[in-house]
Amino acid sequence: MEEELKKIVEEMQKELTGCEKEADVLNIKSKYVGKKSRISEILSNLKDMSIEEKRKYGSLINNTKKELENIINEFLNQKLNQNNTSFDDTLDYEISMGSLHPVTIVAKEVTDCMKKMGFTVVSGPEMETEYYNFEALNIPKDHPARDMQDTYYLDNGMLLRTQTSGNQIHAMEKYGAPLKVCSPGRVFRNEDLDANHENTFFQVEGMVIDKEISIENLLYVMQQILSEVMQSEINLRLRPGFFPFTEPSYEIDMECSICKGKGCPTCKNSGWIEIVPGGMVHPNVLKAGGIDPEKYTGFAFGIGLTRLAMMKYKISDIRVLNSGDIRYLEQFNIK
Amino acid sequence: MLLSCNKLKSYIKNSNDIDWENIWKTFTIRTAEVESVKKVGNNLDNVVIAKIVKCEKHPDSDHMHILQVECGEENPVQVVCGAPNVRVGLKTAYIKVGGHIEGIEIKSRPLRGIISNGMCCSGKELGISDNHDGILELPFDAPVGMNIKEYLPIEDIIVEIDNKSLTNRPDLWGHYGIAREIAAITNHELLPLEISEIEDENKEKLKITIKEPNLCYRYSGLKVNNLTNNKTPLDMQIFLYYVGMRSISLFVDLTNYIMLELGQPMHAFDSRVVKEIEVGLANDGDTYTTLDGIERKLTKDMLMIKNGNNYFGIAGVMGGLDSEILSDTTSIFLESATFNAGNIRKTAVALGLRTEASARYEKSLDPNLTTYAIKRLMYLLKKENPNLEIASKLTDIYPNELTEQVIKLNKKTLKIYMGKELSENEIKEILEKLGFKVEINKDFYNVTVPTFRATKDIKIEQDLIEEIARMYGLENFSPKPLKLDLTVVEHENVYNQEYEVKELLATKFDMNEVNSYIWYDSEMLKKIGIDKSGIKLLGKSENNILRDDLSLSLMNIIENNLKNYKRFGIFEIGTTIENNSNRRKLSIILVDDEKNIENIYMNMKAIVKYLFKNLKNKNVTFVDNINERNYYEDTLGKKVIIDDEVIGEVNVLSKRVANKIGKKKAIVCTELDFDKYVDIEKNKILAKDISKYPTVELDYTIIMPDNKKYIELLEVLKAFKSNLIQSYNLLGTYENKYTIRYIIGSDHKTLDQKDLSNFKERFIEHIKNNGLSIIE
Repeated sequence: MEEELKKIVEEMQKELTGCEKEADVLNIKSKYVGKKSRISEILSNLKDMSIEEKRKYGSLINNTKKELENIINEFLNQKLNQNNTSFDDTLDYEISMGSLHPVTIVAKEVTDCMKKMGFTVVSGPEMETEYYNFEALNIPKDHPARDMQDTYYLDNGMLLRTQTSGNQIHAMEKYGAPLKVCSPGRVFRNEDLDANHENTFFQVEGMVIDKEISIENLLYVMQQILSEVMQSEINLRLRPGFFPFTEPSYEIDMECSICKGKGCPTCKNSGWIEIVPGGMVHPNVLKAGGIDPEKYTGFAFGIGLTRLAMMKYKISDIRVLNSGDIRYLEQFNIK
Repeated sequence: MLLSCNKLKSYIKNSNDIDWENIWKTFTIRTAEVESVKKVGNNLDNVVIAKIVKCEKHPDSDHMHILQVECGEENPVQVVCGAPNVRVGLKTAYIKVGGHIEGIEIKSRPLRGIISNGMCCSGKELGISDNHDGILELPFDAPVGMNIKEYLPIEDIIVEIDNKSLTNRPDLWGHYGIAREIAAITNHELLPLEISEIEDENKEKLKITIKEPNLCYRYSGLKVNNLTNNKTPLDMQIFLYYVGMRSISLFVDLTNYIMLELGQPMHAFDSRVVKEIEVGLANDGDTYTTLDGIERKLTKDMLMIKNGNNYFGIAGVMGGLDSEILSDTTSIFLESATFNAGNIRKTAVALGLRTEASARYEKSLDPNLTTYAIKRLMYLLKKENPNLEIASKLTDIYPNELTEQVIKLNKKTLKIYMGKELSENEIKEILEKLGFKVEINKDFYNVTVPTFRATKDIKIEQDLIEEIARMYGLENFSPKPLKLDLTVVEHENVYNQEYEVKELLATKFDMNEVNSYIWYDSEMLKKIGIDKSGIKLLGKSENNILRDDLSLSLMNIIENNLKNYKRFGIFEIGTTIENNSNRRKLSIILVDDEKNIENIYMNMKAIVKYLFKNLKNKNVTFVDNINERNYYEDTLGKKVIIDDEVIGEVNVLSKRVANKIGKKKAIVCTELDFDKYVDIEKNKILAKDISKYPTVELDYTIIMPDNKKYIELLEVLKAFKSNLIQSYNLLGTYENKYTIRYIIGSDHKTLDQKDLSNFKERFIEHIKNNGLSIIE
């Protein structure tokens, strides 16, 4: 019996050698392990054997059948498939990816966060009138911000906006109170360029107007936005500031994330980093926007988007941002 | 601005209770930003007052002397000293053996063979002046043996405040104002300053005229005679040095001292040259030499102090060379005036001359300070010159007196802003500490504003709320969420649409977003020979023309990138200025070698089509565009049309221009009007049922005559009607052969051979009838 079983295995292996087509292999399979195969016949004869013989040959026959099946399957899997796979599966191509400007990415993050809080994103013109850029924002005629040194005046009597704050007025005029708007955009300052100074950069303005808005609301909203943008729980403090369009005005400082407020070179040993100027909207600004300051109060703030992008991506020279240099910009591919 | 804590202490009662090193952290969040706090004079010890009792020439040196100095010990000590001003009887600062100066220990050591025990010090070595010409000279009555630190205010804490954070606080531009703030923060009492009332009965008025009362609010003058001592006391010299000023002479130093104390700039003229003072405007084109010896060009907007018919000083900025006090004078004319802040700032900026005085005037000083400042100066002057003589009336020209104003502060408004309620007493206490007067009423407070706060920063009730909030403590405010509001509001979605387009171009079409400038690069325009006459920036001769063509303004970015890339695509959404108004534009630019122009041109059209199909569900039509701008190719220009409206252009930069940017390069630019884009409404998708019956693809290859283009074939195809047509599109071209694929089918049945051959026959006939041939 053992002899015969061994022979069956050998015969099948012999027949498989040189077999290239799947159909041939399947024919061999049915011949050797199919219903009409010799091994099936031996197996069916088993029931007529004595108990001793059953004990002696039962598992041997079964194992041989399994062995035959394994050999066939392995042949199918390996030999036949291998013949078809003749490419280098270690090759590794890439689909090239474009890029968004880092400021666009940061602006999206900030506005997304503010949209979640119910803000609408509004826009406004880059070439602006003196009225919207200054007068309506309670910046009087002899204020230093109006100097030629800081402002690009144009030969048509207009100017390039020095801040996105003018959009506060546009939004109030268009939409009235209550109002929750933010407005990212390009602004212009007449500055000489160096690693830290650009004449063209981005800000995002935020403004909330409603009944009974308080300083504590301002603090809350800033904490929410900045925690979301910085992706960590942050501490803020208010410090007296001075801006014509808000009263009271504050410099909003963020606890230094590097030293946790203990003082280090990054925060000039103060433990705090100046991050956002803001304050309660000046009654004159509300009036300019057609909103009654007796009925409504509000707060506004401006975040330096370009500076935020520089902090986030550790950009050391501001000038690369407007250079259009693809070598630099293509790092900012979005997933 | 630099502050001396010693000086601040002198204005506050029980000031030693204050932690002068750490108070500045609180000051930062109550008042203004502190940049640095620095201890001075603490690296010095064992320095005492000594008297030189014997002075002999060093035998081996041409400049050194061997001194015997008395320093409070039993016997005089021998010191070798190289200073030229050593002499018997001189009192000076002597550092003992074992003492330290600038952290270095002083030892007994031989100097050219003669033992020197300790050292006599110069002002510079003590860190109290820049003077290193000789050893410190102390007054004759200085007590020998006394520690120098007890005698002179050498130990101090010097604080630097960020000037910018004082912009709206003219009252904080002197030590006394800062002391008022510190006293309020720490609940201490501010001491009144000692002043000297001017006894000027029977004296004559000075001749002073203000020609421009809108620019000069007040001018006070006083003439003082019989001044014999022009030497500044050492403690004042040290103070001036510590806060960054040079000591010159008593008369000049005192005016600076008053400015540093009260914030009121003053000027002392040599009264021998003062005739008649007039404050008026300069003549255009005149020149005037200021104290620093520089000749300044004047304009008719600059306010001047005039003496007789001559200029005497630039008001609020700097005096003139000819008004300087000479060393032999015993009579001075004191000027204490207030000018218009804006005018002074403009003058200072125009002249490029920002002085300590102009910095203060720019902040809008309180005109009520002028005579007070004179009285304070006279008190200090009298201490050094007890026999001085008042030689004129305190002459005070003050056309429009600034009086105290009352602001009504509503309790309700205060509560809204603060988000909490403070007690009436708290409010009253806070405001009174800062110099306000408060009257409590039922629903409001009447708050009287002192004039030193009224010129600039306190005008309305919100200004008072700011005062209350900061003194209450900004750190005591806690974040509070806004009231729940569930209204859906989206006023506009311009920004979202911009982002959508940018994201598509970057992710789908492998393009890079750039940011650029709103003006043309002059050099680039010159290089490519294009003249642009748009809106101009004033006061600039380069890069001063605002762009009216976004793509063209990106040419220098393209030129730079060509150094590193053979082909690329960039885009920007930015503003152009056309017909005097803002236009929001999207520019897409593809760059490649000239031989690949067809490829990028077709890509560009496909991108534009995709963009509108994907984001607006709209089909684009391109029609020929005769370009007005000659730097674009005439024949390849296309208008981009959506719903019969022109929304932009696809252009190819002319060969001539492109070649200047990159040799043998093709540059294809699309410019879309984004304002119009935003307003295009998205086509709704209406779902169509799908036929149960199979469709059939039929490909036809049509041969076009050489002079005909695809657009003409499209017209022919459009004219072929059959209700079996599901869709058709261009499969490809080979030379002049265009292969079109039709997909045909029916909603009612499976097409049979007869339907197909019918369709085919009709189509071939249609094509032939239109004068085209078809490969059958």
